[in-house]
Amino acid sequence: MRFEIKNASGVTHLAIEGELDAVTVSDLRPDLEKLVKAKPTLVEVDLSTLRMVDSSGVGALVSLYKRVRAQGGSVVIKGLRDQPLAIFRLLRLDRVMLNGDPRTPPPAQKSKSRH
Amino acid sequence: MQVVSAVGEAFNNIVLHGYKGRKEGSIDLRIQTRRNHIRIELRDWGSGFDPTEVPRPKFDTLPESGLGLFIMQSFMEMAYRPGRPNLLTLSKRFVERSSASRKTEGAS
Repeated sequence: MRFEIKNASGVTHLAIEGELDAVTVSDLRPDLEKLVKAKPTLVEVDLSTLRMVDSSGVGALVSLYKRVRAQGGSVVIKGLRDQPLAIFRLLRLDRVMLNGDPRTPPPAQKSKSRH
Repeated sequence: MQVVSAVGEAFNNIVLHGYKGRKEGSIDLRIQTRRNHIRIELRDWGSGFDPTEVPRPKFDTLPESGLGLFIMQSFMEMAYRPGRPNLLTLSKRFVERSSASRKTEGAS
């Protein structure tokens, strides 16, 4: 498992690659702790290169989601597919965590006016 | 995918709970396959548990734990016999695809 956390334009980007399970999640937890303590307003979690996740990995992501939102922030999870998506659907997390976040500001719209 | 997920949860459950607090422990893993069926037995000598006493996750509260057993039971048939050793059996029957559908897929 590899992960990367970046901050850009007020958004915290977290990308997780490989297998997030009971063994590898311990590498991620200290950085998730720091991330939450920084009180981010928006966290984008990119799971497009996550191959496998187990209940421990899901637990860490749910914890991140709940703690950031409890502080008034938002979490958007992107790119879920294959086994991780099946697990999220089984645990009914897709209904809550993948439907977008009502507090997420909409993307800036391009002006349609012509001059 | 479902078998890998269920067996991974079973293995981690033994390590994290059955052998909790121990530096090492053994897990005996046996896999039997037939044409449309897979049966996996995991034996361990750690603390046992009663699956009927493990509460079903309350999904509306976004649970962070207690999900492993639910994943196991959702993806495979599960049986558990506590003892020395504890025996956890996971099995699954696969639906065989017809030769016609295989030919169709192969041609596409």
